[in-house]
Amino acid sequence: MVNKKDLKRITDYLYEIPKEYREDMRVPARIYADEKLLEASLGDRSLEQLVNTATLPGIVSYALAMPDIHQGYGFTIGGVAATRYPSGVISPGGVGYDINCGVRLLISNMEADEIKPHISTLISALYYNVPSGVGKKGSIKLSPSQVDQVLEKGAAWAVKQGYGPQEDLERIEERGAMAGAEARAVSSRAKERGKNQLGTLGSGNHFLEIEEVVEVYDQEVADAFGLFPGQLAVQIHSGSRGFGHQVCTDYVRSLQKAVTQYGIQLPDRELVCAPLDSPEGRDYFAAMAGAANYAWANRQCLTHHTRRTFEEVLAGKVRNWELITVYDVAHNIAKIEEYEVDGQRTKLCVHRKGATRAFGPGQPELPGIYRAVGQPVLVPGDMGTASYVLVGTQEAMKASFGSTCHGAGRVLSRRAAKKRIRGDKLKAELEAQGIQVRAGSMPGLAEEAPDAYKDIERVVDVVHRAGLARKVAKLRPLAVMKG
Amino acid sequence: MPSFRFKEVEHTADLALKVHGHSLKEVFINAACGLFSLMADLENLAPSVSREVHLEAPDRESLLVDWLNELLYLHEVEEEIYTRFEIETLSSTTLSATVWGTKTKVSKLTVKAATFHDLEIRDIEDGYMTTVVFDV
Repeated sequence: MVNKKDLKRITDYLYEIPKEYREDMRVPARIYADEKLLEASLGDRSLEQLVNTATLPGIVSYALAMPDIHQGYGFTIGGVAATRYPSGVISPGGVGYDINCGVRLLISNMEADEIKPHISTLISALYYNVPSGVGKKGSIKLSPSQVDQVLEKGAAWAVKQGYGPQEDLERIEERGAMAGAEARAVSSRAKERGKNQLGTLGSGNHFLEIEEVVEVYDQEVADAFGLFPGQLAVQIHSGSRGFGHQVCTDYVRSLQKAVTQYGIQLPDRELVCAPLDSPEGRDYFAAMAGAANYAWANRQCLTHHTRRTFEEVLAGKVRNWELITVYDVAHNIAKIEEYEVDGQRTKLCVHRKGATRAFGPGQPELPGIYRAVGQPVLVPGDMGTASYVLVGTQEAMKASFGSTCHGAGRVLSRRAAKKRIRGDKLKAELEAQGIQVRAGSMPGLAEEAPDAYKDIERVVDVVHRAGLARKVAKLRPLAVMKG
Repeated sequence: MPSFRFKEVEHTADLALKVHGHSLKEVFINAACGLFSLMADLENLAPSVSREVHLEAPDRESLLVDWLNELLYLHEVEEEIYTRFEIETLSSTTLSATVWGTKTKVSKLTVKAATFHDLEIRDIEDGYMTTVVFDV
C-alpha cells in the first residue's frame, strides 16, 4: 500500500509519487487532491493501481489521478494515462468495460418552477418511456447491418433515423462519431448484445435526472453555454451497454497473448495492452471506437425518448419545454491527441478512465459556439446533492492532457452502503428534500446513496483551484430515475 | 479451513467474491453460483432450460474468467439466470459443462464482466481459493 510518507507535495492540490517508489515505474504518478481527498484515496488500493499504470510501455510525463480517484480493477478510476503514439501501448483496461460511459446535458428555456406541479407525472412518464435496468431491451431493434452502421456512424445514425435534430451533433464530443471505428474488429457476440439495447439507460450508477440550475459562477461562460439560474435541465448518464462490455471482455482476453508476444511485463493481468501500431492494438482501437460510437448513438436515442416524454407530459400545459443539447462528454475512452511533451508537439493515446476531456479555449476540436470559451465539462454528483458544469482550460492542456474529474468518486463499497442505508428510507429522505425518485431496485438505490460518494463540492473545488477546469454552474436534482 | 463456498469481500467501486472449492471443479461451480447470487435471489428458481458450454484457454485463471463471462453473455442474450452447473470435464485449459437456468429478470444488480484483476487460483491445504473482481 502507498503511504502518506511516499507522497511529495508539489502544490496545495497536487502530490507526486516519485518514479523511485517502485522499480518498474517508467514515470512518476501524480494525484490532484486536497488533504482530505488524499486521505480518502489512501484508504483503498487506488494509489497502488495508479502506480501500476505508471509501468505501461510508452507512458509519458506522469500517470495522473483526479480528485475523484477510487479503486477500480487494473487501472484506477479517475485516472489519466497518455502513451506515445504509435510506439506506446493501448490498454482496454485503461478504458474499462463501459466504453464511452458518459454524460449529456440538456437545457430548456423555461424556469424549473414552472414544471414543479408536473414533476411527479414527468418522472413517472420518463420511467415508463425510457427503458432502464439490467440487460433491458429497448424499443429500437437493429438488424445486423444497422448495428454496423451504428458503430461506424454513432449519433449521426440516430439523427438520420429521426432521433433528434442535426444541431445536436456539433454539441457532442467527436460530433458523436469517433474516426477509426471498424465493424470487422467487433465480435458477433458484441453485435448480438447491442442489437436490442440502443436507447436504454442500464443500471448501476447510470441515471436520468431532471435538474435546476441553482448557481452561476462564471456569467460569460454560462451565457455561451446558454445556462441561467432557475433554469430547467436534464442530465443523462449512460454508456455502450452490453455492446461495450463485450468488446472489452473480448479484447482483455485476446490481448493476454499479445502481452507475451511483445514481451510486455505487467504487474496486473487486467492491464493487458498492445502497441498501438501492432495488429492487436489497431484492432482494439477500431472496436473501442465502434463501442464509443454505439454509446453516443445510445445517448442520442435516450435524449429522443426524453424529449418525446417532455412533449407528452408538458405540451399545452407550459411553454418552452423543448430540450436543447448543451454538450455530451465521454469519461471512459482512449483518444489520439497532440500535446507538448519535453518541448515537442507529440501525438499521444490519452486513456481517460473515469476522467473527462476538458479542452481549453481555441481548440479546433471544439464547436464554433464554444471555441472562444472552452469545452463544457459535465460532472455529475450524487443524487442528493449537486452536479456541476465546468469549462476546460489552457492549464489542463499543459498539465493533465486536457483532462479533469468525472464525478464525485465512491468512498463506500456497495456492500457497506447497503449495510448502512436502506433504499426505501433513502427514497423517503430524498423525497422529503423535494427530490422525486423512481428506481428499479431499492438495494440498487441504496448502493448509490449520497453517503457512498465523496463530497462533489470538494472534488470540483480541487480541479477549479488546480486550474484543470473552472466552475461555471451548479445544478440541483429535482427528480431522479435509476435503473 | 474455510467453511464458505463464496463470500463478498470489500471493494470500493465494484464487487469482489472470494471463492473456495475442495476441487477446481468446485471453484468454478461456486464462482458461478456466487456470480448469479449477486444478480438475483436464487431460492425458488426452478431450472427449466439447459445450455452447453465448451471453452479452451491458456491457463486456469483465463479459463475461470472465460467461464464467468460466457455465463454472463448467455444470461444477457437468453435472458436467463443459471442456478445449476454440471462440469463434465475440466483441465487447466479446457472446460465442458451443462448449465441449467430459468427465464427471469435480474432483481439485484447487473454485472458487466469478470476481470483478471489480481486473479490467481491458489492451492490451499483443503483445495483452492481465489478472489474474482467483477465490474458492476
